[in-house]
This record gives sequence, C-alpha cells and structure tokens, in this order.
Amino acid sequence: MATIDINEKVLSKNDLDAKRLRDFFAKEKIYTINVMSSPGSGKTSLLEKVLPIIAKKYNVAVIEGDLETDNDKDRIERAGIKALQIQTGGACHLEALEIEKKFSIFNDSKIDLLIIENVGNLVCPSEYDLGQDENFVLLSTTEGEDKPLKYPTMIYACDTFIVNKVDLLPYLDFDVELLIDNAKKIKNNIRTFKISCKSGEGVENLVDYIISKIEGKKIT
Amino acid sequence: MHEVGIAQSILDIAIDNANKNGAKKINLISVNIGKMSAVDFPALDFAFNALKEGTIASESKLECNEIELKCECFSCGAVSALEGYFSICPKCESREVRIISGDELNIAYIDVE
Repeated sequence: MATIDINEKVLSKNDLDAKRLRDFFAKEKIYTINVMSSPGSGKTSLLEKVLPIIAKKYNVAVIEGDLETDNDKDRIERAGIKALQIQTGGACHLEALEIEKKFSIFNDSKIDLLIIENVGNLVCPSEYDLGQDENFVLLSTTEGEDKPLKYPTMIYACDTFIVNKVDLLPYLDFDVELLIDNAKKIKNNIRTFKISCKSGEGVENLVDYIISKIEGKKIT
Repeated sequence: MHEVGIAQSILDIAIDNANKNGAKKINLISVNIGKMSAVDFPALDFAFNALKEGTIASESKLECNEIELKCECFSCGAVSALEGYFSICPKCESREVRIISGDELNIAYIDVE
C-alpha cells in the first residue's frame, strides 16, 4: 500500500475545451461576453438594443443558446447582426466545445465582439467556462430583490450585473438599490448598470463600456 | 451540475498517476472540493462509482473533503471562515474582502497498491 501525492487541479473536459477557446479568442483579439439570466429577464432584448449601435463601428457576432427554436437567432438577425443558434435539445446550459464548433461556421476571425446568449437559467450556465472574457448577469425589476441571495453561485461568477426593465419601476414595489446591495453581499466588486431596453435608459453607458472592452482587448 | 465530467476527470488523473508510479490498483482517491465550486457530493459519488467500472480504480472509494469558504479582510486583516455565501468580514462587517479558499477543486492524493 502506498500513498501518491498528486495536488492537481481537476479540470473537466469542458475546462480544457474552454482554455483552447480562450487562447483562440486572445490570439484573434475577439472580446467575448457570456450573457446569463433567468428566462424572460430580457437577454435577447438587450442584444437587440445594444448590438446595432456597436455594430456601426465593430464586427459583431452572436451565438444563441436555447433548448428549442431559432427564435432568438432570428430576432438578432432582424436587428442586423449575424447570429447562429445552438438548440441544446435538453441541456440547460452551453458548453465550450459546441461554442467552438459553432464559431468555426462564422469563418471570420475579424470579429471584434462575440456575444454568447446562454440558456435562460440562473444555476448551471455559471459552472461551464466558455472561454469568455466576462460574464454578464441580467436581472429584471419584475423579479425578486433577494434573487442574488437565492442564486449565489451565479452572482459569484458575475463580472457585470445589469438590472433591466427599470422603466417599469413606477408600477412596481421594487427596490433596485436593495437588489444591487444583495448582489454585492455575494460579490462586492461587480460592475453594475441599470437599463431599460424599452425606453433606452442606461443603454448608452452600457454600449460605451462594451466598446471600451473591445478596444482594450485590441491592445493586449 | 457537472459532476459526471468532474468524476471522469478525477478518474483520469488518478489512473494516470497510478500508472506512472507502477501501481496496479487504486484503493482511495481523496479530493478537496470548495463550498463555492457548487459540486453536489452525492451526485459526484454516484457518477464516480458508475465510471470506475472496468478500471484499476474499480474497487476504490472517493473521499470528498469540503473546503470551507474563507476570506481575508482588507479592512481589519482578519482571516475568517464564512458561514453562508456573503462576502462580508464576520469580524468588522467590511465588504472589502478577498476569498482565499472555497472554490478549489483538487485531487489531493491516491492510495494504491
């Protein structure tokens, strides 16, 4: 009987796939954002609002993830942005290998910004690295202020926290500052934005931020 | 949620190390899993036991050690264990903290023969 010390990080196959993707995105200087939220928080609406502005100056592509339908891909294309759809069938999250395969279809390494709109789910997507530069987590004013406390692993994975549907605040008993405070209890250094895809409030700030990150990656 | 992939990876690393050291049989695999890694231990154990069949680890046991969430406070300097998921110093309630343990996923050692 003998003991062999290993002390090695356990990397799942997805971690290895994601590392390859991350290296590729770094080499090609493609800024990549993984967008996550519950179903219905407004991920696709956010992209429809924000991406056409960014696409005036930059080459933007979207990979959509849902169990079924091409609906979200179609919406993004109608907004004038190139998009591809992954239909997972039953999987509740996207994985790096399918992103890698889908991206190769674009066959366009001059892309400046890749958005991955993940499957609507506040649990599993945060656990699968997709080689992204940052994670956007969206939460809307029609959800509970305590959601960050109920789904801490998603907030822990979050870099940029976006509160959507602020145009509805006059009709709701919703405390935005409490929501943000709850998110910061889990992760203090998250960046925050308050927006409305309907009224356009806050969209310009978010666009400016994303552009600064696209430019930032080009000089790395 | 990704317990099957993790179990496979644990097995692969354990078997690789056993083979490199000339071992014929693995009896125990010890892993350190941080609380924030969101790994479900029963699911991991179930997946591990299903995957180990037909390998030199077929009779091995998976030992999962949960590593607690700990933070270092930039305000008061204290190093403390965190009860829940709040990144708040239990001593002075500052939020200027750095998580120093709790999201690892490591294979520590294996017992072989």
